[in-house]
Amino acid sequence: MSFREKSAWISVLSMTGIYGFYFWSVIHAGPHAGGFHLGSLLVTIIALVILQVVLTIAVAIFTPKEAQAPRDERDKLIELRAMRVAYAGLATSVALACFFGAFNPPIIFNTNSLLFILVTAEILRSACQIIQYRRGA
Amino acid sequence: MGVIRNEIRRLRFEHGEMTQQELAEKIKVTRQTVNAIELGKYSPSLEAAFRISAVFGKPLESVFHYSQDE
Repeated sequence: MSFREKSAWISVLSMTGIYGFYFWSVIHAGPHAGGFHLGSLLVTIIALVILQVVLTIAVAIFTPKEAQAPRDERDKLIELRAMRVAYAGLATSVALACFFGAFNPPIIFNTNSLLFILVTAEILRSACQIIQYRRGA
Repeated sequence: MGVIRNEIRRLRFEHGEMTQQELAEKIKVTRQTVNAIELGKYSPSLEAAFRISAVFGKPLESVFHYSQDE
């Protein structure tokens, strides 16, 4: 498994776990707990950054040669394809969010739905990378 | 849809059992990319294909073959 694939796994697993917990807590806090959401979001972002940095450093320590190697043409192609899929998902989801936003939901719903769309697109991008690395390209 | 086959595995063997890692370093890609090329899962760019041919000192058509019927 290449360093880039391991990074994609780190991204998928950490984002699914940490943002999964965040959205679970948002749902259980209810639509009027604005302050709690903001604090919870800040903790989530900090936890995600720390976890990803620690895991990436750990992987780089075990495979230093691969970690230092620049992206090659296959890595770039895989990244572009994954970005295309994620963008399509992002654009569709934003259009749907705009549509449902017309029904005047609470602002906290709009904020979190946009965040959910961004997170999902990012997870989709990394998942697409993993699939392509598994398939060869 | 055509298929690009290659002789990289045989050529590596003929060149002192060159490893995938050694070839990867010579053509400036990762070992995983060399493996994917060798297995026919990834078609390299023209530039990478020329670099591979140059490593083995063979013309491009001796390293890569294109068959249209599969």
